[in-house]
Amino acid sequence: MSCELYDDVLDDYVDGARAADGGRDPHSRLASFEAHLTGCARCQSLVADFTTIRNTAGALEGHLPPARLWATIASSVEDDHNSFSAWLPVAVAASLALLIGGAAWIGWREAPPPAAENASASQADAGITIAEAHYEQAIAGLQQMADAQNTQLDPDTLAVLRQNLAVIDRAIMESRAALANEPASAPAQESLLDALDTKVALLQDTVALAGDLDSQRTDDADATSQEVNQ
Amino acid sequence: MSTADLELAARCRAGDAEAFEELYRQHARRLFSLVLRMTGSAEDAEDLLQEVFLQAHRKMAGFRGESTIGTWLYRLTMNHCLDHLRGRQMKMSRSTESLDAEDAFEPAAHVPAVPSAISRLDLEHAIAGLPEGCRAAFLLHDVEGFEHREVAKILGVSEGTSKSQVHKARMKLRAILSQ
Repeated sequence: MSCELYDDVLDDYVDGARAADGGRDPHSRLASFEAHLTGCARCQSLVADFTTIRNTAGALEGHLPPARLWATIASSVEDDHNSFSAWLPVAVAASLALLIGGAAWIGWREAPPPAAENASASQADAGITIAEAHYEQAIAGLQQMADAQNTQLDPDTLAVLRQNLAVIDRAIMESRAALANEPASAPAQESLLDALDTKVALLQDTVALAGDLDSQRTDDADATSQEVNQ
Repeated sequence: MSTADLELAARCRAGDAEAFEELYRQHARRLFSLVLRMTGSAEDAEDLLQEVFLQAHRKMAGFRGESTIGTWLYRLTMNHCLDHLRGRQMKMSRSTESLDAEDAFEPAAHVPAVPSAISRLDLEHAIAGLPEGCRAAFLLHDVEGFEHREVAKILGVSEGTSKSQVHKARMKLRAILSQ
């Protein structure tokens, strides 16, 4: 058989595939190649050379990166994190508005027809009403945030905000999981709405705080400019 | 994927700076060696590794744990390296005549045997002369010790392509080292 027909198994052989299968299968292509190898100088030479190359490559030493590299990376990550945090309240408020808006829309689309009104329908309606109200609040908060574009919270405040949002998000996830198991459960529905309520409240506080800081800076700037004018 | 890997990824996602440094310490040496051998320049290797870890930090939330965190980092690294090398090649091709790396190193039909003991330095030089495609597969398989299925995942190719690229690399290295 021509040597080239074994090219696809030659590398497997060098990588130890024949040794790995313990030579158990006498009819495999590897076994056939092994038989061919005993009488083929070309393949013997290739196996020997590939084995030398493979063994030397596996023993190549690693290169240590310079010690300063970690400091540079850590600094870049920190800068990146700070620029991300500055936009976090806007992004979270926008996401929440979409989330609540989507929930309200789905609730409206999937609400049963008036003829089928029953206890669960009235609960669903109540949920939609609450979700809609929160949706309006989140939009209002978002509007305030947009009006205060130049305002930035300090990093510590943002860090606390992120932690609180993460806790609330976990609560929302758990409430959703509980609701998925028991869709008709009133406590599960209340739990989800409570978690959403808490998130909206936190965002509203954030928006309000950002607005306060902005006004304070504007007031300070006005006072300074008055002093300069005087 | 190990529990330790999952925990480390979760801590990194949560913004734990110490966890991210741990991730760096675990993988930086191997990744730096790989990038250095791919680019041939310590300066480029530093810049690329910095970009890789910054991207890793940004994309950590998208890490789903389908592969080990190491394989995921290798994939990010190789994507950056290959993009960088293609960019460099494009710049060079504007100012030079056609330079087909594949043809430049085509092995002769019959080559003398490779010495039974080759120096690591000779092998390093020979690897630097490989075309980038088979160099990447060879470095991942023969130097870093990844299986072909892992190399395939990292490079975004089929397992068969990984095997044929490693075969091509070994043939070319054999030709270079036997001269």
